Amino acid sequence: MLFIFSLFIFTIHYSLFTIHLLFAEEYKFEASEFEKKPYRIGGYIEFYPVLFGLDKNSSLYKLNFYDRSEGGTTKQYNGNLQLEGSLEKGILRAYVKTFTNYTNSYQTETTKTTVFEGKISIKPTDSFIAEAGKKTLNWGKGYAWNPTAFLDRTKDPNDPELSREGFIVGSLDFTKSLSGPLKTFSFTPVLIPVYFGVNDDFGELDHLNFASKFYFLLYDTDIDLMFLTGGSKTTRYGMDFSRNLASNLEIHGEFSWINDFKKTITDSSGNTSQDRYNAINYLMGLRYLTEKDTTFILEYYHNGTGYNPKEMRDYFTFIDRAYEMYTSKGNRTMLNKAINLASNAYGRMNPAKNYLYLRISQKDPFDILYWTPAVTLITNIDDKSFSLMPEISYTGITNFEFRLRGGPIVGTRGSEYGEKQNDYRIDFRIRYYF
Amino acid sequence: MKRMVIFLLALFIAIPVFAIDGTQLLKEIDRNLNPESYELYRKLINIEPDGRKKEYVLFTAKKGKDKVAALFLSPASDKGRSTLRLGDNMWLYIPNVGKPVRITSLQSVVGGIFNNADIMQLDYSDEYTVEKIEDLKNQYLLHLKAKTKTVAYDRLKFWADKKTKTPVKIECRTEADMLIKTLYFKEIKDFGGGIIRPSIIETDSPLYKGYKSIIMIAGIKKREFKDEVFTLTFMPKMESLR
Repeated sequence: MLFIFSLFIFTIHYSLFTIHLLFAEEYKFEASEFEKKPYRIGGYIEFYPVLFGLDKNSSLYKLNFYDRSEGGTTKQYNGNLQLEGSLEKGILRAYVKTFTNYTNSYQTETTKTTVFEGKISIKPTDSFIAEAGKKTLNWGKGYAWNPTAFLDRTKDPNDPELSREGFIVGSLDFTKSLSGPLKTFSFTPVLIPVYFGVNDDFGELDHLNFASKFYFLLYDTDIDLMFLTGGSKTTRYGMDFSRNLASNLEIHGEFSWINDFKKTITDSSGNTSQDRYNAINYLMGLRYLTEKDTTFILEYYHNGTGYNPKEMRDYFTFIDRAYEMYTSKGNRTMLNKAINLASNAYGRMNPAKNYLYLRISQKDPFDILYWTPAVTLITNIDDKSFSLMPEISYTGITNFEFRLRGGPIVGTRGSEYGEKQNDYRIDFRIRYYF
Repeated sequence: MKRMVIFLLALFIAIPVFAIDGTQLLKEIDRNLNPESYELYRKLINIEPDGRKKEYVLFTAKKGKDKVAALFLSPASDKGRSTLRLGDNMWLYIPNVGKPVRITSLQSVVGGIFNNADIMQLDYSDEYTVEKIEDLKNQYLLHLKAKTKTVAYDRLKFWADKKTKTPVKIECRTEADMLIKTLYFKEIKDFGGGIIRPSIIETDSPLYKGYKSIIMIAGIKKREFKDEVFTLTFMPKMESLR
C-alpha cells in the first residue's frame, strides 16, 4: 500500500517537474494545425496493479482457493493497451477498437487481445446511418447499472466508464428533428445473429434476434422505448428517461420487463430448481452538483432477476458444506457444482435484488485544479453489506491520468459482500493517452 | 434659472442613453461576435499560478438560437468527446462510455474556470434581458438579467465598445450579486466574411485565485447545418462535419 502510494506521488511530482521545465513557449493557435485527416489512430496504455486483502473465512474464498494456500494478500499486475483506428472516405467509415490485457496474478500469467468493436458505417445523410459489424449499443440512462441494456455486456459498477466488448450486429439509425414539444425522434432497429462462432455468448444459438429503440426528446426530457425478441433470450421490453430539473440537477430512470425469466436456485444442500417468472427491473437516479462543485450520483436499482437474502445465504451455506466435504473427504463433486452455479447464476456482477449506489466527488478541492477526490458506496440494501471505495485522481498532466483507490468490502456472514473473497482492495492506475 | 439650465442639460445628456434600445444593442453585439449559424475552432488554455498550463482544442457548430455542438480535437485524452446543447438541455458524449449522458450547465467538462455553459454558449440576447444601460465615455455598460433559472449566471455586467459594438469585459454574477468570473475580450481580428471580433478572451475568477483561462478563436465562418446534426444520435459522428 505504502509502495503504491509512494509510486503515485513520485510519478506525479516527477511529471509535474518535467512539464514545468518544458513550459516556456508562448501559446499560439492556427486552425490549420487541426485540419481533418481521413484516418485516425489513438488509444491508451495503462499500468494497473491491484492488491487484494483476502477474507479466508468467506465462502467465495473457499470456492476459489480450496486447493491452495495463499497469504493474507494477493497481488495482480495488469497492463492494458486500447487501440482505436478509423478510416473515412465520403459517406463510408471503418472503425476498429481492440483491447489487449496482460495479467499476472496468483492464478496465471496471460496476454489476451479482444476486438471490442469493428464496424463499417454508411452515412448518406445527417439523419440516416447504417452500421454493420461488432459494436456496443449502450442503451439505458443509469450510471452504475442499465437494466435496459439488452444488447450489451454487463457493466461493472466499480468502474462504469470502462469500454466493453460489443456484439456483431447490423443496425440503422434514423433521426428527425422537429419543432414543438417533440424536438427529436430517432428510430434504431438492430439485428443480432446468434450462431456458432457469432455472438455465441449472447444467448441460445441458432436465432436471428431483433431489437429496436425509439428515442424522443419530448418536453426537454429524453425518453427511450426499446424491446428485444428473437429466441436467444426471452422477449423483453424497456423504457428509460432523463431530464434536467435545474442547472445543477439531473434525474434519470430505467424500467425493464423480462418475459418468462428462468432463475436457477439452490438450497443449502445443493439441490437446484428453476423458477420461471416475468421479471421486473428498475432504476432511479440523480446527479446533483452543489455550489462548491461537489457532484453526487445516487442510484437505486431493483434487480428482479436477482436473489433475495435467503437465497444468497443458502448458496453460501452450500459452498461451506461443499468445502467441508472436500477438506474432510477429498470429494470435489459438490464444489464443482458450486463453481458451476457461480459461473451461471450466483456469480453475476450483481446477483442480489436491491442495490444502492452513491458516488460523491469533489472537483478541484481547495481551488487546486485537476485533483478529484471521490468516494463510492455500493450497498446491497437487503443484507446491508457494502463496498466503500475512496479514491483520488489527477488529470493535470496532458494525456496522463492517475488514480489511486482502495477500500473495505464489508458485511456479516451470509451476506453478499461479507462472503466476497476479499476484505479490501487497493488499486492504482496510470494511463497515458496517445 | 441656473437650476433650469442644469436640468435641461442633464436631460439633454441623458436622452441618448434612454434612446438606446438595449435589446437591439445586445442583438447587434451578438451578431458582431458571430453569425447566427457558424463553425468555429477554439483553443482553451487553463493556466495555473505557477505557469503550468493545459490546452484543449474544440470544433464548434452552432445553428439558430438554441443549437450548439462541440467536438474535442485535442488533447488525445479528450479527443472524440463531444457536447451538445439544445436550449437548456446539455449532453456529453465520451467515446469510452459510448453513449451521450445528460449534464448540467454548471458542470465543467474540461475542468478549470470554464463550465459547460461557457463552452456551449448561446447568443447573449437569447439568454438575457437588458435591465439597464449606462453610457460611459467610450463604452456602454449593460446590466443583464437571465431570462430563466437554468442560465448558468444570473446576472452579467457587460461593458461593450461603442465603436465596434463588441464586448470589452463581462462580469458574471450570481443572483446575490457575487462575482463568479470576469471575461476580458482582447485583440480584435478580421476573420473574413465580415466577422471582425475579439480573438482572445481571458478569464479569471475570485473562486480560483491565481488561475487564468484563455480562449483563442480561429477559423470562424458562417455555415448552415441540418437540424439532425444537433441530436444525440449524431454526437459520436461529429467528426464528419469537419
